[in-house]
Amino acid sequence: MTKQRMPAVKTADVWKVFEHDGLAVEAVRGVSLDIEPGEFVVLAGPSGSGKTTLLNLLGGLTRPTRGGVWIDGRDLTSMSERELAKLRLERVGFVFQAYNLLPVLTALENAEFSLLLRGIPPDERRRRVEELFAVIGMTGLEDRRPAKLSGGEQQRVAVARAVVGKPALVLADEPTANLDSAASDALLGVMADLNRERGTTFVFATHDTRLMERAKRLIRLVDGAIESDDVRQDMGG
Amino acid sequence: MLAVGYFSVVILVGWSKGLVAEMIGNGTGILTGQLQVHAADYQPDKSVHATIGGREGTDVAALVNAVRADPAIEAATPRVYGGGLVSTGSATAAAVFLGVDPELEPQVSRIMGALERGRHPRRGANELLIGAEMARSLGAEPGDTVVVVAPAVDGSLGNDLFVVSGIYSTGLADLDRTFALIPIDALQFLMALEPTRIHEIAASVPDPWQAAEAAERLSAVLEGAGFAVGVESWATLRPEMVEYAQLSQAFQWILLFIVFGMAIFGVANTMLMATFERRYEFALLLALGATPGVIVRSVLWEAMALGALALAAGAAITFPVMVWWHRVPLDLSWLFGDFTMLGALMRPVIRIEYPWLMTVQAAVALFLTAALAAVYPAIRAARIPPADTLAGR
Ligand SMILES: Nc1ncnc2c1ncn2[C@@H]1O[C@H](COP(=O)(O)OP(=O)(O)O)[C@@H](O)[C@H]1O
Ligand SMILES: [Mg+2]
Repeated sequence: MTKQRMPAVKTADVWKVFEHDGLAVEAVRGVSLDIEPGEFVVLAGPSGSGKTTLLNLLGGLTRPTRGGVWIDGRDLTSMSERELAKLRLERVGFVFQAYNLLPVLTALENAEFSLLLRGIPPDERRRRVEELFAVIGMTGLEDRRPAKLSGGEQQRVAVARAVVGKPALVLADEPTANLDSAASDALLGVMADLNRERGTTFVFATHDTRLMERAKRLIRLVDGAIESDDVRQDMGG
Repeated sequence: MLAVGYFSVVILVGWSKGLVAEMIGNGTGILTGQLQVHAADYQPDKSVHATIGGREGTDVAALVNAVRADPAIEAATPRVYGGGLVSTGSATAAAVFLGVDPELEPQVSRIMGALERGRHPRRGANELLIGAEMARSLGAEPGDTVVVVAPAVDGSLGNDLFVVSGIYSTGLADLDRTFALIPIDALQFLMALEPTRIHEIAASVPDPWQAAEAAERLSAVLEGAGFAVGVESWATLRPEMVEYAQLSQAFQWILLFIVFGMAIFGVANTMLMATFERRYEFALLLALGATPGVIVRSVLWEAMALGALALAAGAAITFPVMVWWHRVPLDLSWLFGDFTMLGALMRPVIRIEYPWLMTVQAAVALFLTAALAAVYPAIRAARIPPADTLAGR
C-alpha cells in the first residue's frame, strides 16, 4: 500500500459573496482546486478577478459563503476563530503586498515572530532565522528596522517569516507589486529556491505577466472563476 | 490623565484630612482637651456640686498621676468650673470661671498660649485672665481691679476683688467672651471648695484618634483603683466632629469614583483611537496566527504598563507637593481670613495630612481604571477583520 497523498490545500466549489451597497459581489465563484505539497503555483488574473479573496479563503483568513476548504485534510469551515488562528500559525505563511512588517521590530525579530507566537525558545528561533537569512541573502541586516530596509529586503524578511515555521503552504498576495523589476526577480528567485530546496508549497498571486512565466503551474482567474489551470514543463534546475 | 487624577485625588484627600486634623486639633486643643475625667454624676448637668470624690473630694495629685500613667496620654491637669459675674463698677459681664493650674494647663490646652497682653495669673493670687471680647465689653485692661461674684457650694455668694493679669484672644468670639481663667486654688477658695474638690481632669492625647480607646482603658483602670469617675473622649464630647470626619471619609470615596470614573472614559477613548491607528498591526498579528485572546491580553498588558507609567508620573508630581504642603502649608490668608468650622478655628491654609491609605487606594484605582478602560478597546482590537483591514478596506 502506498501512503495516500494529501493535498496541502484543497477547495471544493468554494464561493465568496460580498454584500456591497446592497449589491451582491461574487468575488470567488465555485472554485475547486487541489494543490499538492511542494507545488509552486502562480495565481494570475486582472485586478478584481478575485485573487486576494481566493488566497484569503485558502489561508483561513476569510470564511467561504459556500463550499469547503481543507488544509492538510482538515476542514476549515467547521473551525472556530481560535482554531483558525492556530491553524494559520502552524500551517500557513502569509506574505502581503504591503504592511508586512511590524515597524518597531528589527528584521530578525519580524522574521522570528511566528516562532515566538508558537513559544519556540530564543536560541532556536535565532538559529533558524539566521540559517534562512543566509539562503535569502539577508545576512548582516538582522538588526535593521523595516524603515532602514529597501522594499525588496522588506519583502524578503516577510518571506522568511512566512517560511521559517515550515508551513504546509505559503500564500503570497502580489508580493512584488511595490518592487522594481530587478527586486521582483530577486524575490521570486528566493521563493523558487526555497520551493526547490525545502519543498515549501507556494501560492503566489500576481497580475504581472513577466512573473507568470516562471510558474510551474499557472492558474488564470477571471471574474472569480478558474479560466485555465496549466502545469508547465519544469523551467529546469 | 491618570497621573493628574492620581494627583488630584491624593492632594484633595490629604487636604481634607488636614482640615479634619486641624479642626479636631483646634476644636479640642484650645480648651476642651482630647479627654476629660469627671465625677460619675457630672454629665449632663455639670453641677458645681458634682466634684470628683463627692463631698470628701479626692487625692487630686494621685488622680492626675493615674491619668498621666496611661501610655496614650501626654499630660493631664485638674480643673474647677464656676459661673458668675465680673464687674468693673461701670460694666458687668457674665462669665464661666475656669480654675486652672497655671503650670499644667498649657500642657493640655492652648487657651493660655493665646495670651495677647499682660501675663498669666499666678497660683494662689486673686488674678484672672479674661478673653478679648470680655475685656472690651468691660473696658478692662491688664492691671485693672474687678469684682468677681460666684455662687459657692455652701449656698453663700462668694465675692472678692481680682486683678486682671492678662487678656487672651483665641479668635473664637464666643470663647473670648465667656471664659475667665482663675488659678485653681483661688477659685476653690472663692467657691468654698476644699483643695481636694475638683470638677474635671482634662488630658491631652497626641493622636486624637487614640482618645476614645484611651478613655475606655482609663475608665477601667480608674474604676479599679477605686475612683468613681467617668472618662469621656472628645468623640463623645464633640460628636459632630466625629460625624464630620466620617463624612469627609465618605467624600474621599466619592471623589475617587468621580475622578477615576471620568478618567475611564477619557482613557478608553484615547485607547480606542490608538487601537484604530494600530489596526494594521493587529490585523497582521491576527493573520499570522495570533489568537484573539492573545491580542486582548497584549492590549490589557500594555494598558497596565501605561498605568504603571501614569502611576510613576502621578507619584512624581504628587509626593513632592504632598511633603511640601505638609511641611509648609500653602498660605491663603491673602485670599480670606481665619474661619471657623463646627466651632473650631481654622487657619486659611492648605495643609496636607499624609493620606497614606489613599495613596495606595488611588494607585489601585488607577490600575483598575487603566485595565477597565482597556477592556473594550482590547476586544475591538481582537475583532478587527484581518483580510479586509490589510486590504485597506
Ligand atoms: N470585503 C469586501 N467587501 C466587498 N467587496 C469585496 C470585498 N473584498 C473583495 N471585494 C470585491 O471582490 C472582488 C474581487 O476582489 P479581490 O479578491 O481583491 O480581487 P484581486 O485581488 O484579484 O484584485 C472585487 O470586485 C472586490 O471589489
Ligand atoms: Mg488583490
